[in-house]
Amino acid sequence: MISKRKPWQTVALYLFVTILCVVILYPYFIMFITGMKSNNEMYAIDHIFPQAWQWSNFVDIWSAAPIFRYFINSLIIAGGATCLAILCGIPAAYALSRMKFKGKGIFMGAVIMSQMFSPVVLLVGIYKLMVNINLNDSLLGLILLNAAFNQAFTIWLLRGTFISISPEMEQAAKIDGCNTVGALIKVLLPMAAPGIITTLIFVFINAWNEYTIALTLISTDAFKPITVGINVFYGFNFIQWQYLFATSLFATIPVVILFLAIEKHLVAGLTSGGVKG
Amino acid sequence: MIQNNASKKKNAAASFMPYVWLLPSILLMVIMIIVPIYTVFQISFSEVGRTGKIKGLNGITNYLEVFEEPAFWTTLQNTFVWTIAVVGISTLLGFIIAMVLNQEFAGRKFVRAVVIFPWATALIIQSVIWKYIINADYGSLNVLLRKLGLIDSFVNWTATPQTMFAWECWVGIFVTFPFVTFCILSGLQGIDDSLYEAAAVDGSSFWHKMFRITLPLLRPNLTVSTVLNIIYVFNSFPIIWTISKGAPADQTHTLVTYLYQLSFADGKSGHAAAVSVIGFVILAFCASIYMILSLRREEE
Repeated sequence: MISKRKPWQTVALYLFVTILCVVILYPYFIMFITGMKSNNEMYAIDHIFPQAWQWSNFVDIWSAAPIFRYFINSLIIAGGATCLAILCGIPAAYALSRMKFKGKGIFMGAVIMSQMFSPVVLLVGIYKLMVNINLNDSLLGLILLNAAFNQAFTIWLLRGTFISISPEMEQAAKIDGCNTVGALIKVLLPMAAPGIITTLIFVFINAWNEYTIALTLISTDAFKPITVGINVFYGFNFIQWQYLFATSLFATIPVVILFLAIEKHLVAGLTSGGVKG
Repeated sequence: MIQNNASKKKNAAASFMPYVWLLPSILLMVIMIIVPIYTVFQISFSEVGRTGKIKGLNGITNYLEVFEEPAFWTTLQNTFVWTIAVVGISTLLGFIIAMVLNQEFAGRKFVRAVVIFPWATALIIQSVIWKYIINADYGSLNVLLRKLGLIDSFVNWTATPQTMFAWECWVGIFVTFPFVTFCILSGLQGIDDSLYEAAAVDGSSFWHKMFRITLPLLRPNLTVSTVLNIIYVFNSFPIIWTISKGAPADQTHTLVTYLYQLSFADGKSGHAAAVSVIGFVILAFCASIYMILSLRREEE
């Protein structure tokens, strides 16, 4: 769609994208400058920028609350869920892309259906199940749930990736004496690496950003992920906005960077991989 | 004979293999998704004590009691307004932004990267930051507008349930439109330029090209983004829970925050489960439409 623009169109275009960027970045700007204010300035309403830039806030948060523990918990939950989702998803996606069997259509349908149900609407049932199997208030419970609720996307994205790779190379490897598992690991997985990495990062981000299940299941402070943990700065009467936002920045920046890295693969996978297949 | 048996066994094993490959995935989903679905249905038809102990079936009592609550009907109405407004406006806005980002201009990569921000950020963090921005006493929106000379005294942005809910919809739109933008953008980049050139030769107008070329070719992308967004937005919990918790007087709940409050604040698991099932039925209806659409496309 390269067409010659009239001058006013160019002006309108730049005006539009400038406003767009300002509006989108505004909350992040507020997050940053508020994270830089001192507690005294918090409710001083005459200045947009902090009068004294408190870089120390970014250091103080680590001792003000067990922030480090929360980050580690988020890493364990998101990392564990990602590994589990991929380990279960790869064989399933492989079967769906390379094998013919009865019930394939039904399974695909069930996978698509399951993607429709977020854990929130099932919270009452999830809570009961987790209490029954003694996994409420545990990191393992969150790993299992995040992996399960990301299974649909995992299978969807991986199946799309596998289908786009011709099976000929695997067949050649099998003739050379590889068994199916060997051909999968040695031939298909390396070729599918970009798709697998995209899936890994996407599941990781979903699990990292997850809030509702963790809020419901975790009551022990030492098991809280960062999304729930930042509530410590958010007391009933006293909110430490500067710490809240300083911590939020730490929780946000790595995820945005990861997301930027996979955006192209991800969108192509989401819109074509699963639906057309 | 022996050989024959052996190859039969091998065949049986081979035809069994796909299910072995699927097994881990199926186990994970059955235990973590299907079992809770069953439990929600069971609880919704049971009398439940405040401690969560199931005392036995009581038919549709929970449902009838939920229907008697005026808050439930407000919530149901809010849920539809929330889902339709957020998905509808996000789709329109996301579409327009995708059209713009599909143009060549200096700094396009930067703008693309910026649009990713709201999508990648945790909803809870977005919700907290917006709650701070619109705070009536010291919120940064008031500070900014006063500095710019647009207002003299601070505005209470969330004075009524309606304005509160409107702000929540705004935050919903803010986090939802990037997904639409990227779905559309990926579709736009797949459209062959020669189609537009041919249309230009024929002297087609902008709208003609839009409705005859762009929109039909983007249909799959629009379907995916709309359907997934309906599901996400319908189920979105952190925004409303953080900004208003349904207040004032249960006027700004959607189904998911309402059921959360019923179950985990009011100790009415039976009612919460009934609300879950109602939400579940609405979602299942949407999901089956989506499944029919996507399976039909698979056949094409």
